[in-house]
Amino acid sequence: MVEVTETGRSGVVPVHPDVFAGELEGEPQLVGSRCRQCGARFFPRRGVCARCLSAEVEVVPLGRVGTLHTYTVVYQSTPEFPTPYILAYVDLPEGVRLLAPLAGVPVDQVRIGMPLRLQVEPLRTDAAGRTVLGYRLYAHGGGA
Amino acid sequence: MSDVYVVGIGMTKFGKHPDRTVVDLGSEAVREAIRDAEVDPRRIEAAYCGHVFQGMVAGQRVLAQTGLAGIPLTNVEDACSSGAVAIREAALAIRAGEHDVVLAFGMEHLTGRFRGALTPAEDDLEAAVGLTMPAIYAMRARRHMEEFGTTRRQLALVSVKNKRNASLNPLSQFQTPVSVEEVLASRPIAEPLCLYDCSPVSDGAAAVVLCSARWLRQLTRSQRPIRLAAAALRSGEVESGLPSMAFEPLTRRTAEAAYEQAGLGPEEIDLAEVHDCFSIAEVLRVEGLGLFPVGEYPDRLERGEADIGGRLPINPSGGLLGKGHPLGATGVAQVVEVVRQLRGQAGPRQVAGARVGLAHCRGGKAAGVEGAACTVNILAA
Repeated sequence: MVEVTETGRSGVVPVHPDVFAGELEGEPQLVGSRCRQCGARFFPRRGVCARCLSAEVEVVPLGRVGTLHTYTVVYQSTPEFPTPYILAYVDLPEGVRLLAPLAGVPVDQVRIGMPLRLQVEPLRTDAAGRTVLGYRLYAHGGGA
Repeated sequence: MSDVYVVGIGMTKFGKHPDRTVVDLGSEAVREAIRDAEVDPRRIEAAYCGHVFQGMVAGQRVLAQTGLAGIPLTNVEDACSSGAVAIREAALAIRAGEHDVVLAFGMEHLTGRFRGALTPAEDDLEAAVGLTMPAIYAMRARRHMEEFGTTRRQLALVSVKNKRNASLNPLSQFQTPVSVEEVLASRPIAEPLCLYDCSPVSDGAAAVVLCSARWLRQLTRSQRPIRLAAAALRSGEVESGLPSMAFEPLTRRTAEAAYEQAGLGPEEIDLAEVHDCFSIAEVLRVEGLGLFPVGEYPDRLERGEADIGGRLPINPSGGLLGKGHPLGATGVAQVVEVVRQLRGQAGPRQVAGARVGLAHCRGGKAAGVEGAACTVNILAA
């Protein structure tokens, strides 16, 4: 019997089409964009610089270590996100801020300003049985 | 350009209406606004309808129930700002000289579609990692606490004030005041926000009839006409760098445009209806609007400055937290309240001597953008 799925050969989908560069099966790189004209950086990436309107915007890799800007514990969400879970904004050294689930840190130890590390990993399985590849935050250095 | 006047207002009770349809609610508000305006329905030349989740041509379905079918109708979607944008579109049509008498209404039957937290659009990056609307406001609340020393108890006071005001408004979803302790003891939704820090899921509709100065002069009316002195709309900028999450440049820019249109400043506002979808949201709004200094609203709220009878009453209607938040209806209902206040018809919640009022809406969220749509309408007696 031939197994037919909507996913084709991969069976892995990115959490959003704009966030990775490279092969999903390998080690995909989390990316943002940088304007070659004025240096502004964006996440998620943009086709045109929102600051100077230049179309010369390049895709640039993002670092994996940053600091926690703010966070919440979500107690009410949609069915695909079992509660409770922690969400946090992390400020990366490239000067962009991104939102991700925070894992492996007890809630009472979460602090604004704490160092965090981004890890690319599967987040869940979607309705079609595909692995949704995204990223989570973990405490970095000396943390949990 | 013609001045624009609000000459009729109508609004249903906000709340849970399981036995009524959105068309039923919308029609009630529209009929009331037309009656209040003392206008022959055949004089209404165009209509604008704000809604978010009510499906195709929802506005035309209301026209068919109210004897208005046939006129040009535009359905408007701008998330929580939809109704306010419908009013602005109506005002632009009058200012352009295209129409003299225009209907703007907003409506939503939300309890039939949602339970609990709303989320950004499904294909939004941040929704895909689990962001909900309460969660984004919770994270902004934590930054306001971090940067300005705002306390959890002060945030609760926003809900206490607005639910107290709502208890004076027979059209509000909530009719009973709550205590700080009750807010803090309500179940957590997104820390630090609890259930009573969040606006409810609501059904309802509101409508206004707007007209030109030329048309106004032709009629003697029993109701005092209220001038729409400004109707400003802006959309959110793409964020670059690491912007503050405890201040709203989008609200500030929209307010500046509105103050310029109206030829007045924030010190001349006598009352404001602002988009308090969450307790922290009222703080961000009044500080963004320049009605209170940045970082100081929680202390001033605690001293009673925003109460009815205080220096600058905020959300005398009960706001979204107390009156309810049927998305498309919200921006229109805010203007209905400001008009009632400026006419001196707000009963036990009347702001004494009110001559200028402001209504602020802010709707929508998209990853990497400061917010989707923001409106500021200013009305003058």
